[in-house]
Amino acid sequence: MTNKSPVDRLLLPIRGPLLFVMVLAGLGAMLTLVPLAGIAYIAKLLIGNPNTTTTLFQANIESEIWWVMGISLLSLVIGTLLIVTSELLAHLADHKITHSLRRSVLQRLTKVPLGWFTNQASGDVKQAMQDDISSLHELTAHFYSTRGRCYGVISLSVIYLFLMDWRMAIVSLIPFPCFYLIFGAAKKAISEERMKGFISGQALINNAITEFIGGISVIKSFAVSGQAHKGYHEAVDSFLQGFLNFTRPLVAPLANANAVIAPITVLGTVLTFGTLFVSFNWMDPIDLLPFILVAPGISSPLMLLSFSTHNLAHATAAADRLQALLETPVLTQPTVEKSNHMVNHQICINNLSYAYDDQNAVLKNINLTLTPNTVTAIVGASGSGKSTLARLILRFFDPSEGSITLGGVDLRDINTTELYRRIGFVLQEVRLIHASLHDNIALGRPSATRLDVEEAARAANIHQRIMDLPKGYDSIIGEDITLSGGEQQRVSIARAILLDPPILVLDEATASTDAENEVVIQESLSQFSQGRTVLVIAHKLDTIMTANQIVVLENGEIREQGTHESLLSIHGRYAQLWSLGNYQAPLEAL
Amino acid sequence: MLNTLLQLLGEDASKFRRYASMAIIYGLLNGLTIISLVPLLRYLLLSETINTVIWLVVLLMGALVCWRWRLRVEKAGIEVGIALLQGGRHRLGDHISRLPLGWFNSHNTARLSQVISQGIMEIAQLPAHVFTPVLSGAMTPLIIVLSLFSINWKMGIIALFSLPLLAIVFIITARLGQRIDQEFHHNTAEVSHRIIEFSQAQSVLRAFNGEGSSTDFLKKAFESQKKSSKKIIYLSVMSVILNAWVVQAILAVLMITALLSFNSSAVIGVTNTNEILISIITSLLLVNRFVEPLLDVTGYSEAIRGARNQLKDVQGILDIEPLPEPEKPQFSQDHTLTLNGVGFTYPENKQSAIHDINLSIKPGSMTALIGPSGSGKTTLLSLISRFFDVTEGSISIGGIDLRQMSNEQLSEKISQIFQTPYLFQSSIADNIRIGKPDASDAEIKEVAQLSGVTEIISRLPEGLNTLVGEGGARLSGGERQRISIARALLKDTPILLIDEATAALDTENKAIITQTFARLRGQKTLIIISHQLSTIEMADQIIFLENGHIQEQGSPDLLSDSNGLYSHFLKQQHKIKKWKVVK
Repeated sequence: MTNKSPVDRLLLPIRGPLLFVMVLAGLGAMLTLVPLAGIAYIAKLLIGNPNTTTTLFQANIESEIWWVMGISLLSLVIGTLLIVTSELLAHLADHKITHSLRRSVLQRLTKVPLGWFTNQASGDVKQAMQDDISSLHELTAHFYSTRGRCYGVISLSVIYLFLMDWRMAIVSLIPFPCFYLIFGAAKKAISEERMKGFISGQALINNAITEFIGGISVIKSFAVSGQAHKGYHEAVDSFLQGFLNFTRPLVAPLANANAVIAPITVLGTVLTFGTLFVSFNWMDPIDLLPFILVAPGISSPLMLLSFSTHNLAHATAAADRLQALLETPVLTQPTVEKSNHMVNHQICINNLSYAYDDQNAVLKNINLTLTPNTVTAIVGASGSGKSTLARLILRFFDPSEGSITLGGVDLRDINTTELYRRIGFVLQEVRLIHASLHDNIALGRPSATRLDVEEAARAANIHQRIMDLPKGYDSIIGEDITLSGGEQQRVSIARAILLDPPILVLDEATASTDAENEVVIQESLSQFSQGRTVLVIAHKLDTIMTANQIVVLENGEIREQGTHESLLSIHGRYAQLWSLGNYQAPLEAL
Repeated sequence: MLNTLLQLLGEDASKFRRYASMAIIYGLLNGLTIISLVPLLRYLLLSETINTVIWLVVLLMGALVCWRWRLRVEKAGIEVGIALLQGGRHRLGDHISRLPLGWFNSHNTARLSQVISQGIMEIAQLPAHVFTPVLSGAMTPLIIVLSLFSINWKMGIIALFSLPLLAIVFIITARLGQRIDQEFHHNTAEVSHRIIEFSQAQSVLRAFNGEGSSTDFLKKAFESQKKSSKKIIYLSVMSVILNAWVVQAILAVLMITALLSFNSSAVIGVTNTNEILISIITSLLLVNRFVEPLLDVTGYSEAIRGARNQLKDVQGILDIEPLPEPEKPQFSQDHTLTLNGVGFTYPENKQSAIHDINLSIKPGSMTALIGPSGSGKTTLLSLISRFFDVTEGSISIGGIDLRQMSNEQLSEKISQIFQTPYLFQSSIADNIRIGKPDASDAEIKEVAQLSGVTEIISRLPEGLNTLVGEGGARLSGGERQRISIARALLKDTPILLIDEATAALDTENKAIITQTFARLRGQKTLIIISHQLSTIEMADQIIFLENGHIQEQGSPDLLSDSNGLYSHFLKQQHKIKKWKVVK
């Protein structure tokens, strides 16, 4: 299995149908040749019959002519039907494989470590799931039927011509090997490198477009008059360069190769040698007719064949990338499901270290316990590793060293579905889905009733705002309604509330909201935090001063740990942050 | 369809015209060469050697001319493709950057990326792969029809009339697929959009996957794409069959006519039967040459249909009106900002966001915008930035209406710090440099210092050259915010608009930035949407917005004593201070 090419492996499920398609198309194509032979036969019958000049259409010839005619037209119709059927079957096979591939890629990507998405531009993901899978179309829907058709036409034509006159057959076919010589030379001109240049240009432009549109507000305010973003323009130009490097060496040789087998060239060859053969008395003029009729017909399937191989290069490259994607390492899923071994909802972090790459450790040797029904707050400067710690608890990544346990069971031994049933979070970065407000809130519990959703929204203080909308909970975000930062935050809180997890991670949940919002958000959060295991990451120290334990992170290490009072009394880093924040000042101003 | 193509080509339209006429001429040349077969075959069958050789030379010369000409057609076609891939994409990009920001909702942006990436690629391949064979394939039969007339007028007439008949059938089958094609197209754009969302919102989708259903949105999009692509398959198979059979029926009629006319002329008893036989045979040959290019053309119907849809999408984007640019831009040295009876209604939901705003902001003054969310603060800043045009009243700088200023002039006056800053997938330095592409390293260092970026780069091994990831994904919200402040400072405009810039910052950086604003105060006109009391209290005037209208206006001291909305706001702030995570 392993030595098979990616294409073969991807197409394995539809191998049978594709072979059938090829045979069917070949048969159909052969049948469509019958009328040509029919015309040649009728001509021969007429001219070759010494009696025709005196007694035209003797009964026997006439009926034979009509028979030939009838068979020819019938073959044509049936042949076409077979070809179209083969196309249909090929497209249906393509349809099937395309869809199942999209689903398997999706399945895979839901299991890769989250960090994979941070390093991967979303444009690339789109390229793989949409464009690459679509480019397999050339291979599955067209390649096999085209092949079958071409092989059918070419083989039958050649056999027929050799049966008619082998000498003439040899000379009539001269243009075709010439085509392959020129075409082969042209193909060598496409180096691997150029192909790669072209494909990377394609990815580049996809990303440039995503950026261009995503950053349109910045572009509009910083870029000069109507000139779209420089990066976009550069990507357009460099894509073109890659495209030209790829196509330019091909233009002239391909045009020449095509000219060599153009029907008109083939006819020229046939007639030149034909005239010669006739003048040598090697054959009758009328016997040239099969060659004049059939030989030019080899051109277009041959051209098609070469083009389908050419297009195939795209499909194979796409298949390579897809296969690689399907083999992306995934977060290890537990071999033995141990989630029922969890004794409580306590989180223990043991000797944990984490590094994005080999050199830069983000977290070093962290030991921490989050006890049920307590609040643990993590503070520290940006870049101190607070958010990374929160994300490790959410198992967006696995730790490089050490472990995190939930109720005594290592996170790696808990099935992700079980894990996220227990841990909910509200992150600074709110992500709403292009869907209705109801669906956004019910994201984690799609089966929730409208009543449940409303209750969660009420708890998150967003219910009234939603009810004021003309479409209420059915308003589509981004279409019917644009929510402010604070409102988005409240929707994401409602989402977590509906999930009702025993463990809650809050990462600067109120950072980007205005004062009025902040009050209501904080009210709903403190309500919601009751009786759970809570981890809070906060910039505003006064919001967490009553936490059961406060952990001060610095450069990825725990620098201080304790309650507000105990930390203030040691006059360390926390005390320093506290005084910088000038927390009492606004109160005194009142 | 053609109009869109020409519009996309802009000044390169002549390249297309040149190419198209060359392709047509190629088809005609091809046809002319093919009909030289008629005399050639005739003399060959009559064994007239000299005439045979003469016509053979004609045919070979014709083949040679066709070959050389085809090469030129190919090159001209590639030129058109290049013009589309480069000029067309640039033109679309420039057009898009002139559209009002409000147009960029998620549906439109999904469509947009589809059009610029795949759409243009498909359109650019049209000349080489589709137009050349179709244009020339449609021309060749025309010449052959003429030749048929000279041999057998009945066949000539049948062939001539079959051409418009074929055209009608082609058009009908093409129309047939239009609606379903559009549906497929729409679904494909939806899938693209969902994949991007899937990739960007991965953290949320994963964690809220309790019932294994968070991928449902994408799966549903896949499903509908699947459904419509299946419909397309059946439909295109049907139209291929229909087209092919019509062509074949024409072939059958022509062949039968050839034989029948042979029969009838025999009955009439024309003397030179050999001559008739030859003309029948040549006409049968011509019929084949007549039908073959037509069959080729039918094979392209799918490609043409796809291209037409892409072009329609392009047209849809080109049709959107950009914000108008003044013909004679005016400029003023003064930076007084005046809002006169300003009102704005969002076009999509017809809801008035702002109404009847009158304001005068002196150069160098600091204004704080406050009010509950949805009160129109952000809309107001967008209008001052001219992301939209006001629907009522006017906004002017130094007495000149924004609509009378060119984009450059406006951009030289105003810079913004957004609520959700977007960073480009590049280095930190590049992202700052957007504010002033020719800035020196010293200038970058200076703004980095002012905005707290220095602290970020000192932590990162690669410093200013650190790559930020897509949309700045490798940095935290606060870090992104600071970089966006740095680039706005680098732009160094007299007016600075700030939307909650300090909200996501930690204590230390907040302190740095508050100092920065304090330093800028008096030098630049600052308009800040803020929730930080320390910032708000620095302002010369406070504007309290509610429901799109100014409710209170005045200096902080004046308003805090007035027992109005602002003093209520101060009390709210007080409440926050007492908030605890656990009660």
